[in-house]
Parts: sequence; structure tokens; C-alpha cells
Amino acid sequence: MPSATGDRGAEPTMRAWKFLAAGRVAPFGGHTWPGPAAGEPGAWVRFPEREVFACRADDLPWWIAAELWEVELEQPARTLETQVAAAAGRLVRRMTGWDDGAVHAYGVACAERARALAVEALSRDGRTEEAVALARARGMLELCRVARGFAGDARNRRSSNLAGYLAESSMRASEGFAAAAANIAANAAVAARPDDPGAFHRERQWQARWIAQRAGLVPAV
Amino acid sequence: MSAARPQDLACRELVELLTEFLENALEERTRTQVEQHLVLCPGCTEYLRQFRATIGATRKLAEEDLTEAVKEKLLDAFRHWRQGS
Repeated sequence: MPSATGDRGAEPTMRAWKFLAAGRVAPFGGHTWPGPAAGEPGAWVRFPEREVFACRADDLPWWIAAELWEVELEQPARTLETQVAAAAGRLVRRMTGWDDGAVHAYGVACAERARALAVEALSRDGRTEEAVALARARGMLELCRVARGFAGDARNRRSSNLAGYLAESSMRASEGFAAAAANIAANAAVAARPDDPGAFHRERQWQARWIAQRAGLVPAV
Repeated sequence: MSAARPQDLACRELVELLTEFLENALEERTRTQVEQHLVLCPGCTEYLRQFRATIGATRKLAEEDLTEAVKEKLLDAFRHWRQGS
């Protein structure tokens, strides 16, 4: 079985990953995926008028949900911008490293990336005291409060924008909305490097690696 | 994943697309945008849940279940909606 590279291999199936809501429920369709039993994968899921969708490792940050599963997809699978699609799929095993704690930690890790960018930008703009205060803020709620206070300074637009992104990202992380915290952090990376067309993509790749390691998709480095 | 950023969808745009989304009538790219927005937006996720619940509840209603007064109210609302659109 090939890994989830999205290519149309000669193998009859390919391996990929799928986020589901608690209880193996499809987040958008609302149906429940059959779970594996007695060491065997779950039953094949096939819809009459549409395909099933799953993620390659790099797609993971786009589809965060409560449960992460390894899935087998029937070949040929179609490669899309942020997912893969196939005529049928089945659940192979749950990635138990991805749980509520991991979701929360992921949001916090993403917001921390935004903090690093904001601290750097504030320092570069000569806002040293603010940079220090931001670096010292403890916990997502305090970080949000401090960052929000620095977001309105119109004289230093870039560092103020980054403080604004950080305030939003840390707020979402504190609320447990990790996907939103991550998306805002990726936008913060763009704001930090507006001339770099790859900034967003690289931040998403970092997020994908974080998820993969935490969930046990790849051996920890 | 491509290097380009997929285009973000605003909450207002999602609301306008919801019926087609539920009818599986959106073209693939737009459907993906809707789903990606739902992943990020708890407010829209709740709106979708309520929308589905409303559809489920009204599906159980037959015309004869409605009183004349309710029927008239609904027809009046539809007439005004048409005029306003």
C-alpha cells in the first residue's frame, strides 16, 4: 500500500488520513464511518453521487477535527489542492496521539509561532518594552490581552498588525479552536514577510509536521 | 498542497451558499472553500447545524399540520420576501 503522495499508483489502495468529529462522524456530511473491528479495517464507505475525501500529511492543517484516522482509499485517487478524493475509503486505525489535549496543544503551538513573529517585529520597530512584555506574557489569555494592547499603534503598522494576529490566534487557542488559531498564525507569517510568496505555505508545512509528529504519523525526530 | 493560498470565504458568502452546499450542488472548488471555512468558524458550524435541524423538523410537517392562521402567516412572509428580493 503506497503512502499518501496523491499519485495514481498501480496498487489497488493508497494510505491517507482523515479527520472526523467525535464518534467517527463526518464533520460535514454527518454520517458515521464504520470503525475497525477485531483487527480488521472498517467497512468500505462509498456514496452513490460523490467521493470520499482524505488528507495527505501536508493537508492535515486544513481539516482539523477531534479524531484523526488512518484510512485506505480505493485507487485511483484524485489529488486536489488540499485533499485527495477516491470512490471509496475505509478506516484502518485511529491515531490515538491525536486527542483533545493534542488539539489544544496544537492551537497553542501555532499561537506561539505568531508570538515569536510579533516579538521580532516589535523589536525591529524599536518597541523594545512591548516586545519584552509580549515575550513574558504567560498563558494564551494573558498573551491575547497584552498583544491586543499593542495592536492599535498606527505608527508601526507591521508590528501592530502582527500583534493583532497574535491577539486573535492566542484567543482562538485559548478557546480550543485550534484550526482557527493555526490559520491566523499562518496569516501572521504572511504579514511578517509580505514579499515572500511561500510564507503561508511554509507555515502550513510546519503545522503539518507538528500534527504528524504529535499524532504519531511519522517517527519523532 | 499547492504553494498558493486557497481563497478565504467570508461568513456572509457561506450563508448564501449553504442551500446549494447541502444539496451537493456546488462545484468542487467552492464546496472545498465552504468546508474549509466551516473548519475555521465555530459560528458558521453552529449555523449549519441549526439549518440542518430546521430542515429535519420541517420535513416532518405535512400541509394539513398547519393551522389556517400559520399558513396565512407563511404565505404573507413569502410574498414579502419575493417583493424584497
